[in-house]
Amino acid sequence: MSVLPDVALERLDGPPVSIADLFAGERVVLVFVHGDCPTSLLALRRLAAAGDSAARLVCVAEEDVVGAARLARRAGVDFTTLAAPAPYELSRTLGIETVPTAVLLGADERIVGWDADAYERLLGVELPGEPRLKPGCGARSIEGEPAGGLDELEDMFERGWTDGLPVVPPTPERVAAMLGGRDPDRSLGRVPPAHGEATLERVASCAVLAGCRPAYFPVVVAAVEAALEPAFNPHGLAVTTQPAGVVAVVNGPARERLGLNGGIGALGPGNRANATIGRALRLVLTLTGGAAPGALDRSTLGSPLKVGVCFAENEEASPWQPLHVEHGFDADASTVTLVAADAPLSISEHRSRTPEELAATLGWAAAATWSPFWWPMDDTSLYVVCPEHSALFAAAGWSKERLREAIYEAVVRPARELQRGETTPTVWASGPDELIHKWTDPEKIQFVVAGGEAGRFSAVFGPCDGMGTRPITKEISWST
Amino acid sequence: MEYVTPFDERVREPVAHAPRPEDLCGRTVALLDINKARGAEFLDRVEELLREHGADTVRAAKPSFSRPATGEQIAEIARGVGLVVEALAD
Repeated sequence: MSVLPDVALERLDGPPVSIADLFAGERVVLVFVHGDCPTSLLALRRLAAAGDSAARLVCVAEEDVVGAARLARRAGVDFTTLAAPAPYELSRTLGIETVPTAVLLGADERIVGWDADAYERLLGVELPGEPRLKPGCGARSIEGEPAGGLDELEDMFERGWTDGLPVVPPTPERVAAMLGGRDPDRSLGRVPPAHGEATLERVASCAVLAGCRPAYFPVVVAAVEAALEPAFNPHGLAVTTQPAGVVAVVNGPARERLGLNGGIGALGPGNRANATIGRALRLVLTLTGGAAPGALDRSTLGSPLKVGVCFAENEEASPWQPLHVEHGFDADASTVTLVAADAPLSISEHRSRTPEELAATLGWAAAATWSPFWWPMDDTSLYVVCPEHSALFAAAGWSKERLREAIYEAVVRPARELQRGETTPTVWASGPDELIHKWTDPEKIQFVVAGGEAGRFSAVFGPCDGMGTRPITKEISWST
Repeated sequence: MEYVTPFDERVREPVAHAPRPEDLCGRTVALLDINKARGAEFLDRVEELLREHGADTVRAAKPSFSRPATGEQIAEIARGVGLVVEALAD
């Protein structure tokens, strides 16, 4: 047997191990592979699907930890996988020239390429199916790193580092620029449902992927901090069958500093800060947090909101206190507020001339949100009031509180009209003529002002009812 | 090309399933209601069937379906019983 090099290799299913410790006293077969070799992938998939083997299988990937993890995921490998990157000491010691190559430690037996019959004899398992034989590829230890490799944008898709749209590859240089001198290892906490740790480096990687400028990074960090607050219920929002989007509203001087849009088209495309900050937050939840759609994210339909939504409040067009001041922050503080939300419902209202009429329209538009007979709703609805609508309330001297009360009081129905379909225990427990409100409490109705100066279109984001989530506001810290 | 991963690549050791019991006679089964609509009715019927098979039952409920059970609650259930049936969804 060759003398194995005395190195500790990174292992995906535990702490680094020395070769001698891992292999002591066992019949061990090392399978050398790398991620650019289709035969390696074939071999790993077939071996992963095999039953109990007479020997312990260990995958040795000529990759760094990330590449090894990706290869193991693609192949469905559930046996120990080691990352054996350049300079490929172990491969060189054992004279590996081709991958896959299986080496039975302590014996002079090896299988080069894919040979199902030979593997069956070596491992004492059945490996049904075709092909029985397939030549391997050159090992990295003799060929070196591939010169070009995949196109780097395609590589991002291949790795799964995306929401389905092209991303900016997070090179160390770009991530360092995003971090701007901040401690890469500082943790913002663990992101459910997979509980990946949101180190600033990983958050910065997501911000790069999303296309953020480094100047946006403090907003992304504050948004992640908000998303991880237990009162936001990040676990429930990540895994629910609901659409469960997250809306980020930015207030204060950050809006102008970063060029965030709160004016015309605020909820739409066209502004880099709006588009990429919301996307970065979503990538942290999806990639670092493991809430991949269809995997741990069980949302039945998903939601366009899950690409990411961020906009500024149009404080200058608002007659009211901005959202962050209402939530207890100074007017000159920059903040981000997260609200868990359903898709926005547009509310056209060009005819109302009194605040009572307009409040009724805004309120009744929300009557069918969540579900038409589900009254009262117990989570937050976020109204985005357009400037022409807010101006009408301002002209009548209506405060936010008065509007909130007016909407709450306007939207009531007798229980008998609601006793069907998906409705609440409150409705069933009420007498037929008892009036039920659409919201449990006026405070569940929140407002921000945004949009262009012309046009009477407001919108309401319905709630993620039953999630027990509440809006969370965090101050944006510019310091490093 | 080298990149900075957005993933936490640490992989937790898979936990093996507990062995399936041969029968339920004399065993205690926890019935965990996650607090979704009518989950309790489902568990009522499951409880009847379990008792017909000789099992003892205890009932537990999460305060909210949208949040994980607390470690304390899980530990308490694990201390007292051999099996758990969870009414997962509506």
